[in-house]
Amino acid sequence: MSDEKKGSFEGFGAEWKSTQLSEADKRRATDWVEAKIDKRSLLTGNRKEDIRDIMWQLEKEGEIVVHRVGDHNDPVMAKTLYGWDKKIPTNNFWHHKSCGQCGNIPGYPTSVMWLMNKLGIKYLDETDQTSCTAWNYHGSGIGNVVSLAAVFLRNYHQAYVSAKAEGLPEGTYYPLVHCGTSFGNYKEMRIFLMHSAELRAQVKEILGKLGRLVDGKLLIPEEIVHYSEWLHVMRDKLATHQTIDVSNVRATIHPACHVYKMVPEDVIYDDAVLDGNRVAVSTGLMETFGAQVIDYSTWYDCCGFGFRHIIGEREFTRSFAIDRKIKVAVEEAKADVMIGHDTGCITTLDKNQWIGKAVGKVYALPIMADCQFAAIAMGAHPYKLAQLHWHASPFETLLEKMGIDWEKAKVEFEDYLGEVSKGKIETLYDPQRAITSGPGYKKPAQLAGASNK
Amino acid sequence: MDQLAFTNDPLAEAPAVPREKMQEVLDDIKGHMLFDHELHGCLNCGICTATCPSASYYDYSPREIVQLLWTENLEGIYDAMGEKIWACAQCYTCAARCPFENSPGGLVMIMREVAIKHEMESVKEVLRPFSRVLLKVISTGNQLAPNMITKEAFPDWGPDVSKVDAPLDILRKAIPVPTLHTLDTAWIVNLKTSVELFTIWEATGVLDQLESVDENLFDVVVDVMDEKREDLEDWLDEQEDEDDE
Repeated sequence: MSDEKKGSFEGFGAEWKSTQLSEADKRRATDWVEAKIDKRSLLTGNRKEDIRDIMWQLEKEGEIVVHRVGDHNDPVMAKTLYGWDKKIPTNNFWHHKSCGQCGNIPGYPTSVMWLMNKLGIKYLDETDQTSCTAWNYHGSGIGNVVSLAAVFLRNYHQAYVSAKAEGLPEGTYYPLVHCGTSFGNYKEMRIFLMHSAELRAQVKEILGKLGRLVDGKLLIPEEIVHYSEWLHVMRDKLATHQTIDVSNVRATIHPACHVYKMVPEDVIYDDAVLDGNRVAVSTGLMETFGAQVIDYSTWYDCCGFGFRHIIGEREFTRSFAIDRKIKVAVEEAKADVMIGHDTGCITTLDKNQWIGKAVGKVYALPIMADCQFAAIAMGAHPYKLAQLHWHASPFETLLEKMGIDWEKAKVEFEDYLGEVSKGKIETLYDPQRAITSGPGYKKPAQLAGASNK
Repeated sequence: MDQLAFTNDPLAEAPAVPREKMQEVLDDIKGHMLFDHELHGCLNCGICTATCPSASYYDYSPREIVQLLWTENLEGIYDAMGEKIWACAQCYTCAARCPFENSPGGLVMIMREVAIKHEMESVKEVLRPFSRVLLKVISTGNQLAPNMITKEAFPDWGPDVSKVDAPLDILRKAIPVPTLHTLDTAWIVNLKTSVELFTIWEATGVLDQLESVDENLFDVVVDVMDEKREDLEDWLDEQEDEDDE
């Protein structure tokens, strides 16, 4: 708008007057405002609380012990919604698996571990772990804040002590949460625990019975980290191993509600990704790999999983998934794939396309997790490693676009199944490491003489 | 009407619910550890409902839930707990958007817990299809298992639930993550882990919740728990014997 124009018809109101500043002065004034007033601080001021402040205070007062992201975890700093720092570990992980992924989308954890192997990152995947139990809670109402918090801290305590089974110091491995709901739930539980002395007392009593305290205190993680955050900070390193050009792929992103809406202040936002206005994970990875990330009008919507709906009211789940996500991604964004970073979303969007045929809503959109896409783009076998045969959506069309002969790969996998039936199984790590106590545990040589319990 | 109040609809055939009962329900909601964390006020702006996925498909509005609780509308709250609260998809979009930092989704969870505590009739009906998940999570610590995902259980997922035709156990062994070489749980769960989880369930009243929702399921879970506890005891005894030798 030129300085000469003014008046309400121009949209500034009758009282509007130009500052008559030169172009240089306008730029200088704007820079000053941007430097002084962060857009997030306008929204939050001083009223938004960083729960970690309370956590450090409680540790100072001797009430809790904080499991730190140590130097041996090679941390990388990232920014969250309000510009706070989040310390993301990049090495020595304890895999907090997802029951939905492991049961239904096994290429998800497989890809994460394969990517780690590719980069020489150490980790432990063990059997002493439960689900977070939050899917069940949000679906049924069975459970409560005390049970959820106790399960959370039991699993995190096990992560903390797990390395002892290998003769390594406590705290070697840092938990990496695979599931979006576990991630959201644990972030929420940490807030509730920090706020409520009553809750801490109840959980402490239970964990005391289980022998799950550290120096008689609750162990609280410094950071709760989702695997997509690890992928985000590692994206440039991962891309150096890319073998397949994906620049012709039109990708839509489905961000998971429990990753970025539940405790929204604790997930990565990056000024270099979507101008820092939307959650950065997955989008940043796809852009770094050179895919075209296409925006669409229902980006913000959930997938329709609903927790109990996917089981008991599937007409809601499939209607929402098709009408609000799949249809829009296909018709509006002309997408080749929809990429997610959570268990329920991938399941919902992947499995609820076929039924659309019954009502004339015929859409076919490949659905997979960011880690699966990254692994495939880095040369992983689409069946043997990315385990795409568990997906109902037409991933074959995406593979063709990426120049991958999926028919040949399928035959190779079927041949491999023959080997598997003869007991010739390939694994990403030594299976013995998965058992850290109880039946089947074998002490490492350096622990010879110690109890097996 | 002195001691009785209607469940929202004075023409309904359902028997009137005593006011004391409804007050008890509200007291339990307000007495929940998280109530003050989830509700701070309400301007009736409706941002929560505008962005709510369930509001598009059900007679459900997070704004209504918040308003009922904010105004302590006994009849409305009791009525909503019959069916409406089960429409919520638990995405927490409402919570992320609310200018008051309320969590309507979180309030719904409090109401669901209280509905279970009061053994409301709707609970059993709504949770019936969820019993397989409940059994799995409480007895194993996993919520989902590969052998639950079958074409029979999910016919609407179509014929491509698995695109390679092979026995399930072979397909599972072909996953290169050893902890996933199992059918009954999502991953192999350490015996000690399951027993620790049982202690958590007992100490936090979860088993009582389960018993009120489904007595048969509760009996099955208790049997499984007893069996696993015995297995662990036996194993520990064996270890002691070995240590003694």
